[in-house]
Amino acid sequence: MRTNHFIIILTTILIIGCNKNTDDKVEKTTAIDEPVEVETYGLGKAWLSEYGFFENELSQLKPVENVHPYEINSPLFSDYASKKRFIYLPEGESINYVNEGILNFPSGTILIKNFLYKKIQNSESPKIIETRLLIKNDNEWKPLTYIWKEDQSDAYLEIVGARKPVQFISEDGELMDIKYSIPDLNQCQNCHNKNEVLTPIGPTAGQLNKYVINNGKKVNQLAVLAGNGSLSGLPELKNVPIVAQWDNPGHFSIDQRARAYLDMNCGHCHNPQGSAKTSGLNLTLDEFDEHKLGINKKPVAAGKASGNLLYDIVKGKPEESIIVFRMDSDKPEIMMPELGRSLIHKEGVELIRQWIKNMDE
Amino acid sequence: MKINFSLLILLILFIISCKSNNSYDPVRSYSDIQKDLTAKFILAEDSSVIELPEGHFLFDKSLSLEGKSHLTIKGKGIDKTVLSFKGQTDGAEGLRITNCNSITLEDFTVEDAAGDNIKVMDTKDITFRRMKVAWTGKINEDNGAYGFYPVMCNGVIIEECESMGSSDAGVYVGQSENVIIRNNIVYQNVAGIESENSDNVQIYGNEVYDNTGGILVFNLPGLSRYGRNIKVYENNVYNNNRKNFSVPGAIVGYVPAGAGMIILATSNVEVYQNSIKGHKTGGIAIVSYELIKAMDEMNDEKPDEAELPDGIAAFNADYKSDPNYDPYPGKIYIHNNVYDNNKWIPDLNSDMGKLLLVKNGLKTPDVIIDGILPDNYLGENGRVNDAYKICIEEEGVKFLYLDAENDFKGMHENVNNYKCEQIIL
Repeated sequence: MRTNHFIIILTTILIIGCNKNTDDKVEKTTAIDEPVEVETYGLGKAWLSEYGFFENELSQLKPVENVHPYEINSPLFSDYASKKRFIYLPEGESINYVNEGILNFPSGTILIKNFLYKKIQNSESPKIIETRLLIKNDNEWKPLTYIWKEDQSDAYLEIVGARKPVQFISEDGELMDIKYSIPDLNQCQNCHNKNEVLTPIGPTAGQLNKYVINNGKKVNQLAVLAGNGSLSGLPELKNVPIVAQWDNPGHFSIDQRARAYLDMNCGHCHNPQGSAKTSGLNLTLDEFDEHKLGINKKPVAAGKASGNLLYDIVKGKPEESIIVFRMDSDKPEIMMPELGRSLIHKEGVELIRQWIKNMDE
Repeated sequence: MKINFSLLILLILFIISCKSNNSYDPVRSYSDIQKDLTAKFILAEDSSVIELPEGHFLFDKSLSLEGKSHLTIKGKGIDKTVLSFKGQTDGAEGLRITNCNSITLEDFTVEDAAGDNIKVMDTKDITFRRMKVAWTGKINEDNGAYGFYPVMCNGVIIEECESMGSSDAGVYVGQSENVIIRNNIVYQNVAGIESENSDNVQIYGNEVYDNTGGILVFNLPGLSRYGRNIKVYENNVYNNNRKNFSVPGAIVGYVPAGAGMIILATSNVEVYQNSIKGHKTGGIAIVSYELIKAMDEMNDEKPDEAELPDGIAAFNADYKSDPNYDPYPGKIYIHNNVYDNNKWIPDLNSDMGKLLLVKNGLKTPDVIIDGILPDNYLGENGRVNDAYKICIEEEGVKFLYLDAENDFKGMHENVNNYKCEQIIL
């Protein structure tokens, strides 16, 4: 009897000892401590308020005269965050219009993008999480990220990024509890990369060619910028390209919307000059080669992220298309885009699913 | 006395189960230097050294290095400095190095990245020295894809490193040029060492065992560049019989267990003075991309059936539209290797293995040629076009020409057909 007892105990110990370290789940959280003094490393101003982009209360994001608000037709999905975008132009300078690619911004331009959630659990007001700046000097763009304090009074420079817990209410009224990821400065380049040069992604003529409500009137953004002297060389609006609004089926075909969505959410890496050029997959709007767009194309180095599927896109078969599988995942080793989200963009996945389903087999 | 006996048995069982080579369970005790090290990576001055302290450090996102020159990142030794990305939630790589110049990584371990342990892209001169990359826990498809993963680089040295557990390739070099992979120990991966679409590659002095396939030299269509000029020599390649644990979508999913080396659709490859032993499917296979494509189509049509292909039909594949891609191997020179591949049953989980069993019985060939030939295989003079010449100078080698193109009708074992009067490389 004693023997058995002894053996059982020994066995238990051995089994425990043997299984150690195999399946334990590791969770690590980077705590956010708001700094009193900010280390700038000479990279930029310590606090967002020091730039003077906004007047009165900073969190109202009410721009001063040479800071111009803008929207884009099809934005990148960022965990359902809303974005408020502005362009700061140095006194007397203007943007030069170009038909294709990023508009030609003067030296000294700062692109300002605020990430916020409109509906927050237990709160009446929206919550701004971070503000990203792209600063152009001597033809070179540099990124900086500012994290907003909990009291929303200001935002401080943070080069190493952070994870911030956010509880927001989705459009369906659902409570979403996420750890919002604020990128470190090296991560910025992962996406903002064209031929190894850091470049803005959004502000092209086609993306800004959009009607917005300004002082109660429906106006074209590009025309407004041209009208106040901030944009030169704007051709007649009918000659300006337009990127489809991915979520506006009334105005744009499913093909236009899907291509615009893929361009903005994938094309910044999946292009011949981007971070994902090794994949041979090009999802920008100017690609028309079916194979390069992923149709019947085998993945190059997806590994298990291919989900046991053979091709990026199989016409008419979204369930056999790797592209849908990877968009519809929130696992870091599988999901695409691989940065900038922890949630699945259900509406985006549905759009691409329908688009592939509609393709003739 | 009886007690001791039970204990002894128990102890033996314990040792067997724990030492099983299907799991890697080092003892870890983590501390946190994420913020500090991320800042060092961002702010590193050119021509400086980032010293990694001794300890086990856990990260929840990729560490990236971007646009730096002449930088050394140095640990205290592979058993002393461990960067772990276990459970990471941000980014798929452990280390990610892009757009750099002259970077040296030395003396530390990187493990458990969600995707690839170390990815290096668009970098000139990257050296890995005395590094280890691994995935802990069970060795299975949940492990990340690549251990060392330089891609689109010029000047790569991987030496005296150790790589294990990759569900794709342990040491992988893709779309790069001027590459040296030497004196590494590579085991328990799907592919041990893989050179893909790379130019001027030397693979020598490596110890490669217990992978699904030992050393792969591949050229795949549709990529930015194609590879050639590969030398594989003085490697010790043995017992690469591990069950393939990749996924069907991946190209290494086609590699049958028990493959010492595979040369796929690549030109100018010299393989010599290697020891290639203990493989159950084949020592060295020289194959065309057509074979992969045919196996693919077979899978498409009959996913669950274990039928053999009855000849390989013509098919229209997109790679044919690429004028720069040649799906056939050529200018291959194989000589002075030592073989001993006598495991008797080829891998029955793979089409290739089944095919070999049915067509060739229980003889494991040392050198296999698939025998799918291009239209211009023979020149106008009736001799083999130099571009597709394969030269084999081996004593007593067990050879197999499959003639896969013609339903295996012309299958033979006569290696003398591949003795060359003139070696063209």
